[in-house]
Amino acid sequence: MKHWTEGFDDDDADESLVRPYTITGGRTTSERNDLTLITLVTAISEVSSEAERRLRRMQPEHRTIFALCKRPLAVAEVASALNLPVSVTKILIGDLIETGQMRTRPPLAFAQAGGIPDMTILEAVRDGLRNL
Amino acid sequence: MDYAISDHGDAAPLAVKILIAGGFGVGKTTLVGAVSEVAPLRTEEYLTHASVGVDDLEGVSGKSTTTVALDFGRITVNSQLVLYLFGTPGQERFWFMWNDLVNGALGAVVLVDTRRLDVSFASIDFFESRGIPFVVGVNCFHGVKDRTQEEIRRALDLDPQVPLVLCDARDRTACRDVLLALIDHLMAARSHTAPHPVA
Ligand SMILES: Nc1nc2c(ncn2[C@@H]2O[C@H](COP(=O)(O)OP(=O)(O)OP(=O)(O)O)[C@@H](O)[C@H]2O)c(=O)[nH]1
Ligand SMILES: [Mg+2]
Repeated sequence: MKHWTEGFDDDDADESLVRPYTITGGRTTSERNDLTLITLVTAISEVSSEAERRLRRMQPEHRTIFALCKRPLAVAEVASALNLPVSVTKILIGDLIETGQMRTRPPLAFAQAGGIPDMTILEAVRDGLRNL
Repeated sequence: MDYAISDHGDAAPLAVKILIAGGFGVGKTTLVGAVSEVAPLRTEEYLTHASVGVDDLEGVSGKSTTTVALDFGRITVNSQLVLYLFGTPGQERFWFMWNDLVNGALGAVVLVDTRRLDVSFASIDFFESRGIPFVVGVNCFHGVKDRTQEEIRRALDLDPQVPLVLCDARDRTACRDVLLALIDHLMAARSHTAPHPVA
């Protein structure tokens, strides 16, 4: 049995390329470039009936994302669960944001700001790690 | 306790990350797996997509397109904070993703294998040149301690302020201590510098 620490290879990358861009309707980049690997996305539970109708007309992958994100998940976690590349996943999540079905929480850009994170964050991480 | 301007009406926590970097086969995935609350997850990105650009992926099936894979783990710190650990290879072909990888990163752990220190040079250069705080974790494969810390520091041309910690990437407590060394390093840096606005 294959253990999870063994990587899977890239051999099937070429065949799997067509399908992802079919899901996005041929789009290869997201119009939203504000989504990052650890932006947390959450499905909005109380969506309008109009939004619900739209969701039904979307790709199955959109509905899977919507269902997965009942609890907040990082973009990378969604991509991993769907087994889709990050860029494709960002496009699909972008669709759900556009139609008012998801909300996001972006990370704080410490490094870009040349800054060190806030002490309260560091203390919380330290305490969390000590409890491991 | 709230970590940020929360105009996000929902209960989503704040996500932060620590990068686990270093050369090929130094134990990055092993470390992520040792401390993560879930088995390391894997995600892929198209190499051509990001490096070639936006314009044409038409007939993409005919091209030879490669993907790069990253694995990551998760530690739920508390209801308001979740820590992701991203294993990030040092090879240049991954660097197109580093803007995204660095976004939200507290800092990095660069893992080295004393038998092949050179494979982690690129990672050290990367964080040094961008001023991203990091610590070095020396992964002691089979308990091999064939070099003193001083020798390793010299070979890596490491800034004396950068902490260096010995570890076994398979051991949860040892890996946790490497992460704690990074947090201590960040706290020390924080108290030495004027508070910098995080945005
Ligand atoms: N004996 C011993 N083996 C280790 C240790 N850390 C990692 N290994 C083994 O070394 C090999 C490489 O470890 P990985 O965690 O896959 O290394 P990596 O840095 O993720 O490798 P790439 O992603 O391929 O660059 C695996 O077979 C591990 O089981 C260690 O501390 N001691
Ligand atoms: Mg690995």
